[in-house]
Amino acid sequence: MRSPLSRFIVRVLAWLPVTFALWYVAAPLLVWPAAWLTRAIAYTAFGDLVRSIDQARATLIFTSTVRPGLAAPTAAAVTVEVNTLLYAFGMPLFAALTLAAAESRRWMILAIGYLALLPVVTWGALADFLKNIAITSGPLIASQTGFSAGQREVIAFAFQFGSLILPTVIPAIAWVMTHRTFLLRMRGQPLEAPA
Amino acid sequence: MVRFFVLFLVLQAALFGAELTPWAQAYFVVPWTNAIAAVSAWLVTVFDPNVVAMGKVLRSTANGFAVSIESGCNGVEACIVLVAAVLAFPAPWRNKLIGLFAGILAVQGLNIVRVISLFYIGQWNLKAFEWAHLYVWQALIMLDVLVVWLVWVRTLPRDGEVGPGEPPDAPAGIDTVPAAT
Repeated sequence: MRSPLSRFIVRVLAWLPVTFALWYVAAPLLVWPAAWLTRAIAYTAFGDLVRSIDQARATLIFTSTVRPGLAAPTAAAVTVEVNTLLYAFGMPLFAALTLAAAESRRWMILAIGYLALLPVVTWGALADFLKNIAITSGPLIASQTGFSAGQREVIAFAFQFGSLILPTVIPAIAWVMTHRTFLLRMRGQPLEAPA
Repeated sequence: MVRFFVLFLVLQAALFGAELTPWAQAYFVVPWTNAIAAVSAWLVTVFDPNVVAMGKVLRSTANGFAVSIESGCNGVEACIVLVAAVLAFPAPWRNKLIGLFAGILAVQGLNIVRVISLFYIGQWNLKAFEWAHLYVWQALIMLDVLVVWLVWVRTLPRDGEVGPGEPPDAPAGIDTVPAAT
Protein backbone atom coordinates (compact mmCIF):
# COMPACT_ATOMS: atom_id res chain seq x y z
CA MET A 1 0.00 0.00 0.00
CA ARG A 2 3.06 2.31 -0.02
CA SER A 3 2.92 3.03 -3.72
CA PRO A 4 1.26 6.35 -4.54
CA LEU A 5 -0.51 4.62 -7.40
CA SER A 6 -1.91 1.92 -5.10
CA ARG A 7 -3.19 4.57 -2.70
CA PHE A 8 -4.71 6.47 -5.59
CA ILE A 9 -6.52 3.35 -6.86
CA VAL A 10 -7.91 2.61 -3.41
CA ARG A 11 -9.16 6.19 -3.13
CA VAL A 12 -10.82 5.97 -6.55
CA LEU A 13 -12.58 2.74 -5.56
CA ALA A 14 -13.70 4.38 -2.32
CA TRP A 15 -15.08 7.41 -4.16
CA LEU A 16 -16.86 5.46 -6.93
CA PRO A 17 -19.89 4.31 -4.86
CA VAL A 18 -20.34 7.85 -3.58
CA THR A 19 -20.09 9.49 -7.00
CA PHE A 20 -22.33 6.87 -8.60
CA ALA A 21 -25.01 7.40 -5.94
CA LEU A 22 -24.88 11.19 -6.27
CA TRP A 23 -24.87 10.91 -10.06
CA TYR A 24 -27.95 8.70 -10.08
CA VAL A 25 -29.88 10.93 -7.69
CA ALA A 26 -28.92 14.13 -9.52
CA ALA A 27 -29.17 12.63 -13.01
CA PRO A 28 -32.23 14.65 -14.16
CA LEU A 29 -30.41 17.85 -13.33
CA LEU A 30 -27.03 16.69 -14.61
CA VAL A 31 -28.33 15.67 -18.04
CA TRP A 32 -30.58 18.72 -18.41
CA PRO A 33 -27.91 20.79 -20.23
CA ALA A 34 -27.21 17.80 -22.49
CA ALA A 35 -30.94 17.59 -23.24
CA TRP A 36 -30.93 21.30 -24.13
CA LEU A 37 -27.91 20.78 -26.41
CA THR A 38 -29.58 17.74 -27.98
CA ARG A 39 -32.69 19.78 -28.75
CA ALA A 40 -30.63 22.58 -30.26
CA ILE A 41 -28.76 20.20 -32.58
CA ALA A 42 -31.76 18.01 -33.40
CA TYR A 43 -34.03 20.92 -34.32
CA THR A 44 -31.28 22.45 -36.45
CA ALA A 45 -29.83 19.41 -38.20
CA PHE A 46 -32.78 17.00 -38.14
CA GLY A 47 -35.73 19.39 -37.98
CA ASP A 48 -37.58 17.37 -40.60
CA LEU A 49 -37.39 14.24 -38.42
CA VAL A 50 -37.82 15.56 -34.87
CA ARG A 51 -41.07 17.11 -33.71
CA SER A 52 -40.18 17.47 -30.02
CA ILE A 53 -37.81 16.18 -27.33
CA ASP A 54 -39.06 15.91 -23.77
CA GLN A 55 -37.11 14.97 -20.68
CA ALA A 56 -38.50 12.56 -18.07
CA ARG A 57 -35.89 12.15 -15.33
CA ALA A 58 -32.82 10.98 -17.27
CA THR A 59 -34.80 9.75 -20.28
CA LEU A 60 -35.17 11.79 -23.44
CA ILE A 61 -38.37 11.12 -25.36
CA PHE A 62 -37.97 11.94 -29.03
CA THR A 63 -41.26 12.44 -30.87
CA SER A 64 -40.48 12.10 -34.54
CA THR A 65 -42.32 13.24 -37.64
CA VAL A 66 -42.20 9.66 -38.90
CA ARG A 67 -45.46 7.70 -38.96
CA PRO A 68 -45.57 4.19 -37.50
CA GLY A 69 -47.16 2.79 -40.66
CA LEU A 70 -48.66 3.89 -43.93
CA ALA A 71 -52.17 3.17 -42.64
CA ALA A 72 -51.58 5.09 -39.42
CA PRO A 73 -53.41 8.39 -38.92
CA THR A 74 -51.35 11.44 -39.85
CA ALA A 75 -51.31 12.56 -36.21
CA ALA A 76 -49.60 9.32 -35.14
CA ALA A 77 -45.84 9.52 -34.78
CA VAL A 78 -42.99 7.23 -33.84
CA THR A 79 -41.47 8.03 -30.45
CA VAL A 80 -38.05 6.90 -29.26
CA GLU A 81 -37.02 6.84 -25.61
CA VAL A 82 -33.32 7.22 -24.92
CA ASN A 83 -31.83 6.51 -21.50
CA THR A 84 -29.11 9.17 -21.28
CA LEU A 85 -27.46 7.44 -18.32
CA LEU A 86 -26.07 4.97 -20.86
CA TYR A 87 -23.93 7.79 -22.19
CA ALA A 88 -23.37 9.69 -18.94
CA PHE A 89 -21.76 7.07 -16.69
CA GLY A 90 -18.38 8.70 -17.34
CA MET A 91 -19.43 11.53 -15.02
CA PRO A 92 -19.12 9.52 -11.77
CA LEU A 93 -15.91 7.93 -13.07
CA PHE A 94 -14.38 11.33 -13.82
CA ALA A 95 -15.55 12.67 -10.44
CA ALA A 96 -14.08 9.69 -8.56
CA LEU A 97 -10.75 10.03 -10.36
CA THR A 98 -10.66 13.77 -9.69
CA LEU A 99 -11.62 13.54 -6.03
CA ALA A 100 -9.12 10.72 -5.50
CA ALA A 101 -6.32 12.77 -7.05
CA ALA A 102 -7.27 15.59 -4.62
CA GLU A 103 -5.63 18.37 -6.59
CA SER A 104 -6.05 21.90 -5.30
CA ARG A 105 -8.39 23.08 -8.09
CA ARG A 106 -10.58 19.96 -7.95
CA TRP A 107 -13.94 21.79 -8.04
CA MET A 108 -12.96 23.70 -11.15
CA ILE A 109 -11.64 20.45 -12.67
CA LEU A 110 -14.95 18.75 -11.87
CA ALA A 111 -16.77 21.55 -13.70
CA ILE A 112 -14.43 21.27 -16.71
CA GLY A 113 -14.90 17.50 -16.84
CA TYR A 114 -18.66 17.84 -16.57
CA LEU A 115 -18.73 20.31 -19.47
CA ALA A 116 -16.47 18.01 -21.52
CA LEU A 117 -18.86 15.09 -20.98
CA LEU A 118 -22.08 16.86 -21.95
CA PRO A 119 -21.42 16.53 -25.72
CA VAL A 120 -20.85 12.80 -25.19
CA VAL A 121 -24.38 12.48 -23.81
CA THR A 122 -25.77 14.53 -26.68
CA TRP A 123 -23.86 12.46 -29.25
CA GLY A 124 -25.12 9.23 -27.72
CA ALA A 125 -28.73 10.37 -27.46
CA LEU A 126 -28.87 11.68 -31.03
CA ALA A 127 -27.12 8.64 -32.49
CA ASP A 128 -29.43 6.36 -30.49
CA PHE A 129 -32.52 8.15 -31.85
CA LEU A 130 -31.24 8.10 -35.44
CA LYS A 131 -30.23 4.43 -35.17
CA ASN A 132 -33.72 3.59 -33.96
CA ILE A 133 -35.65 5.33 -36.71
CA ALA A 134 -33.21 4.72 -39.56
CA ILE A 135 -32.11 1.15 -38.86
CA THR A 136 -33.73 -0.89 -36.11
CA SER A 137 -37.37 0.16 -36.54
CA GLY A 138 -37.70 -1.71 -39.80
CA PRO A 139 -37.97 -0.74 -43.47
CA LEU A 140 -41.44 0.81 -43.22
CA ILE A 141 -40.21 3.48 -40.83
CA ALA A 142 -36.63 3.71 -42.13
CA SER A 143 -37.87 4.43 -45.64
CA GLN A 144 -39.64 7.58 -44.42
CA THR A 145 -36.40 9.06 -43.05
CA GLY A 146 -34.85 9.43 -46.48
CA PHE A 147 -31.41 8.26 -45.37
CA SER A 148 -29.29 6.53 -48.03
CA ALA A 149 -27.50 3.23 -47.35
CA GLY A 150 -24.24 5.12 -46.85
CA GLN A 151 -25.84 7.51 -44.37
CA ARG A 152 -27.25 4.57 -42.43
CA GLU A 153 -23.72 3.14 -42.23
CA VAL A 154 -22.51 6.45 -40.80
CA ILE A 155 -25.36 6.41 -38.26
CA ALA A 156 -24.49 2.85 -37.24
CA PHE A 157 -20.84 3.81 -36.76
CA ALA A 158 -21.77 6.97 -34.85
CA PHE A 159 -24.01 4.93 -32.56
CA GLN A 160 -21.37 2.27 -31.90
CA PHE A 161 -18.65 4.87 -31.36
CA GLY A 162 -20.96 6.94 -29.18
CA SER A 163 -22.01 4.03 -27.01
CA LEU A 164 -18.88 1.86 -26.79
CA ILE A 165 -15.99 4.31 -26.98
CA LEU A 166 -16.87 7.92 -26.17
CA PRO A 167 -18.60 7.46 -22.77
CA THR A 168 -15.55 5.67 -21.37
CA VAL A 169 -12.70 7.33 -23.23
CA ILE A 170 -13.65 11.01 -22.90
CA PRO A 171 -13.65 10.93 -19.06
CA ALA A 172 -10.19 9.34 -19.14
CA ILE A 173 -8.88 11.87 -21.67
CA ALA A 174 -10.39 14.77 -19.74
CA TRP A 175 -8.88 13.47 -16.51
CA VAL A 176 -5.40 12.99 -18.00
CA MET A 177 -5.51 16.47 -19.54
CA THR A 178 -6.56 18.11 -16.28
CA HIS A 179 -4.10 16.15 -14.12
CA ARG A 180 -0.80 16.49 -15.91
CA THR A 181 1.08 17.68 -12.83
CA PHE A 182 -0.46 14.89 -10.77
CA LEU A 183 0.71 12.38 -13.38
CA LEU A 184 4.16 13.92 -13.27
CA ARG A 185 4.36 13.40 -9.54
CA MET A 186 2.88 9.92 -9.88
CA ARG A 187 5.60 9.00 -12.33
CA GLY A 188 8.59 9.65 -10.22
CA GLN A 189 8.05 11.64 -7.09
CA PRO A 190 6.09 10.99 -3.91
CA LEU A 191 2.43 11.86 -4.37
CA GLU A 192 2.34 14.30 -1.49
CA ALA A 193 5.70 15.91 -2.23
CA PRO A 194 5.59 19.69 -2.33
CA ALA A 195 6.52 21.34 -5.61
CA MET B 1 1.01 16.06 -25.05
CA VAL B 2 -0.97 17.33 -28.07
CA ARG B 3 0.85 14.88 -30.35
CA PHE B 4 -0.04 12.05 -27.95
CA PHE B 5 -3.73 12.92 -27.85
CA VAL B 6 -4.04 13.41 -31.61
CA LEU B 7 -2.25 10.12 -32.31
CA PHE B 8 -4.31 8.40 -29.61
CA LEU B 9 -7.62 9.55 -31.12
CA VAL B 10 -6.58 8.69 -34.68
CA LEU B 11 -5.37 5.22 -33.70
CA GLN B 12 -8.46 4.58 -31.66
CA ALA B 13 -10.86 5.62 -34.41
CA ALA B 14 -8.92 3.53 -36.96
CA LEU B 15 -8.83 0.44 -34.75
CA PHE B 16 -12.49 0.79 -33.83
CA GLY B 17 -13.43 1.24 -37.49
CA ALA B 18 -11.41 -1.86 -38.36
CA GLU B 19 -13.13 -3.80 -35.57
CA LEU B 20 -16.55 -3.07 -37.07
CA THR B 21 -15.69 -4.47 -40.50
CA PRO B 22 -17.37 -7.79 -41.35
CA TRP B 23 -13.96 -9.41 -41.80
CA ALA B 24 -12.76 -8.45 -38.31
CA GLN B 25 -16.09 -9.47 -36.82
CA ALA B 26 -16.02 -12.89 -38.48
CA TYR B 27 -12.35 -13.76 -37.95
CA PHE B 28 -11.53 -11.98 -34.72
CA VAL B 29 -14.40 -10.54 -32.64
CA VAL B 30 -16.78 -13.51 -32.81
CA PRO B 31 -14.11 -16.19 -32.11
CA TRP B 32 -12.66 -13.99 -29.35
CA THR B 33 -16.07 -13.52 -27.74
CA ASN B 34 -16.77 -17.25 -27.95
CA ALA B 35 -13.39 -17.92 -26.33
CA ILE B 36 -14.26 -15.56 -23.45
CA ALA B 37 -17.50 -17.46 -22.88
CA ALA B 38 -15.63 -20.77 -22.97
CA VAL B 39 -12.92 -19.60 -20.56
CA SER B 40 -15.54 -18.11 -18.22
CA ALA B 41 -17.50 -21.39 -18.23
CA TRP B 42 -14.33 -23.37 -17.62
CA LEU B 43 -13.42 -21.18 -14.63
CA VAL B 44 -16.94 -21.23 -13.21
CA THR B 45 -17.22 -25.02 -13.37
CA VAL B 46 -14.46 -25.20 -10.74
CA PHE B 47 -17.10 -24.26 -8.15
CA ASP B 48 -20.36 -24.56 -10.12
CA PRO B 49 -20.71 -27.58 -12.43
CA ASN B 50 -24.10 -26.42 -13.74
CA VAL B 51 -22.70 -23.94 -16.25
CA VAL B 52 -22.08 -24.37 -19.96
CA ALA B 53 -20.89 -22.12 -22.76
CA MET B 54 -22.65 -22.21 -26.13
CA GLY B 55 -21.00 -19.83 -28.56
CA LYS B 56 -21.01 -16.43 -26.87
CA VAL B 57 -23.69 -17.48 -24.34
CA LEU B 58 -22.97 -18.55 -20.78
CA ARG B 59 -25.89 -20.60 -19.45
CA SER B 60 -26.88 -22.16 -16.16
CA THR B 61 -28.23 -25.68 -16.64
CA ALA B 62 -29.75 -25.47 -13.15
CA ASN B 63 -32.16 -22.56 -13.70
CA GLY B 64 -31.82 -21.68 -17.38
CA PHE B 65 -30.44 -18.18 -16.76
CA ALA B 66 -28.05 -17.09 -19.48
CA VAL B 67 -25.93 -14.10 -20.42
CA SER B 68 -24.88 -13.34 -23.98
CA ILE B 69 -21.55 -11.58 -24.37
CA GLU B 70 -22.16 -8.72 -26.79
CA SER B 71 -20.13 -5.83 -28.16
CA GLY B 72 -18.78 -3.74 -25.31
CA CYS B 73 -18.73 -6.74 -22.99
CA ASN B 74 -16.00 -8.71 -24.73
CA GLY B 75 -13.23 -6.32 -23.70
CA VAL B 76 -12.25 -5.65 -27.31
CA GLU B 77 -13.10 -1.94 -27.16
CA ALA B 78 -11.24 -1.56 -23.86
CA CYS B 79 -8.20 -3.22 -25.43
CA ILE B 80 -8.48 -0.90 -28.43
CA VAL B 81 -8.31 2.09 -26.09
CA LEU B 82 -5.30 0.60 -24.29
CA VAL B 83 -3.50 -0.28 -27.53
CA ALA B 84 -4.06 3.25 -28.87
CA ALA B 85 -2.83 4.81 -25.60
CA VAL B 86 0.32 2.65 -25.46
CA LEU B 87 1.17 3.06 -29.14
CA ALA B 88 0.57 6.81 -29.08
CA PHE B 89 2.75 7.41 -26.03
CA PRO B 90 6.42 8.10 -26.81
CA ALA B 91 8.32 5.09 -25.48
CA PRO B 92 10.83 2.49 -26.69
CA TRP B 93 9.22 -0.26 -28.77
CA ARG B 94 10.34 -2.94 -26.35
CA ASN B 95 8.41 -1.20 -23.56
CA LYS B 96 5.40 -0.78 -25.82
CA LEU B 97 5.31 -4.48 -26.65
CA ILE B 98 5.62 -5.45 -22.98
CA GLY B 99 2.90 -2.93 -22.10
CA LEU B 100 0.58 -4.25 -24.79
CA PHE B 101 1.03 -7.88 -23.76
CA ALA B 102 0.67 -7.31 -20.01
CA GLY B 103 -2.03 -4.68 -20.45
CA ILE B 104 -4.27 -6.76 -22.69
CA LEU B 105 -3.85 -9.66 -20.29
CA ALA B 106 -4.89 -7.46 -17.35
CA VAL B 107 -7.89 -5.97 -19.17
CA GLN B 108 -9.13 -9.32 -20.43
CA GLY B 109 -8.58 -10.87 -17.01
CA LEU B 110 -10.81 -8.29 -15.36
CA ASN B 111 -13.29 -8.64 -18.21
CA ILE B 112 -13.68 -12.33 -17.41
CA VAL B 113 -14.32 -11.35 -13.80
CA ARG B 114 -16.98 -8.96 -15.15
CA VAL B 115 -18.68 -11.69 -17.22
CA ILE B 116 -18.69 -14.18 -14.36
CA SER B 117 -19.88 -11.63 -11.80
CA LEU B 118 -22.70 -10.46 -14.08
CA PHE B 119 -23.72 -14.06 -14.65
CA TYR B 120 -24.29 -14.50 -10.92
CA ILE B 121 -25.61 -11.00 -10.21
CA GLY B 122 -28.25 -11.62 -12.91
CA GLN B 123 -29.39 -14.80 -11.18
CA TRP B 124 -29.67 -12.92 -7.91
CA ASN B 125 -31.34 -9.65 -8.98
CA LEU B 126 -32.11 -8.31 -12.46
CA LYS B 127 -32.18 -4.68 -11.34
CA ALA B 128 -28.71 -5.04 -9.83
CA PHE B 129 -27.61 -6.82 -13.01
CA GLU B 130 -28.79 -3.91 -15.13
CA TRP B 131 -26.94 -1.40 -12.96
CA ALA B 132 -23.74 -3.44 -12.82
CA HIS B 133 -23.88 -4.23 -16.53
CA LEU B 134 -24.76 -0.83 -17.94
CA TYR B 135 -22.91 1.52 -15.62
CA VAL B 136 -20.65 0.11 -12.91
CA TRP B 137 -18.64 -2.45 -14.84
CA GLN B 138 -18.27 -0.09 -17.79
CA ALA B 139 -16.62 2.41 -15.48
CA LEU B 140 -14.50 -0.24 -13.75
CA ILE B 141 -13.17 -1.63 -17.02
CA MET B 142 -12.20 1.86 -18.14
CA LEU B 143 -10.60 2.47 -14.76
CA ASP B 144 -8.66 -0.76 -15.29
CA VAL B 145 -7.42 0.51 -18.68
CA LEU B 146 -6.38 3.82 -17.13
CA VAL B 147 -4.59 2.14 -14.21
CA VAL B 148 -2.80 -0.32 -16.50
CA TRP B 149 -1.66 2.60 -18.64
CA LEU B 150 -0.49 4.58 -15.56
CA VAL B 151 1.43 1.56 -14.26
CA TRP B 152 3.03 1.12 -17.67
CA VAL B 153 3.97 4.81 -17.88
CA ARG B 154 5.62 4.52 -14.45
CA THR B 155 7.82 1.70 -15.72
CA LEU B 156 9.14 3.71 -18.66
CA PRO B 157 12.70 5.05 -18.60
CA ARG B 158 12.65 8.74 -17.68
CA ASP B 159 14.42 11.50 -19.56
CA GLY B 160 18.09 10.64 -19.91
CA GLU B 161 17.56 7.00 -18.96
CA VAL B 162 18.03 4.47 -21.72
CA GLY B 163 16.98 0.87 -21.46
CA PRO B 164 19.37 -1.91 -22.45
CA GLY B 165 19.65 -2.16 -26.21
CA GLU B 166 17.43 0.88 -26.76
CA PRO B 167 18.33 4.09 -28.55
CA PRO B 168 17.71 7.38 -26.70
CA ASP B 169 14.02 8.11 -26.96
CA ALA B 170 11.88 11.15 -27.36
CA PRO B 171 10.75 12.70 -24.07
CA ALA B 172 7.61 11.20 -22.66
CA GLY B 173 4.51 13.29 -23.19
CA ILE B 174 3.60 14.05 -19.60
CA ASP B 175 7.18 14.99 -18.74
CA THR B 176 7.03 18.15 -20.78
CA VAL B 177 4.76 20.02 -18.39
CA PRO B 178 5.97 22.47 -15.75
CA ALA B 179 6.43 21.41 -12.14
CA ALA B 180 3.43 20.97 -9.89
CA THR B 181 1.97 23.99 -8.18
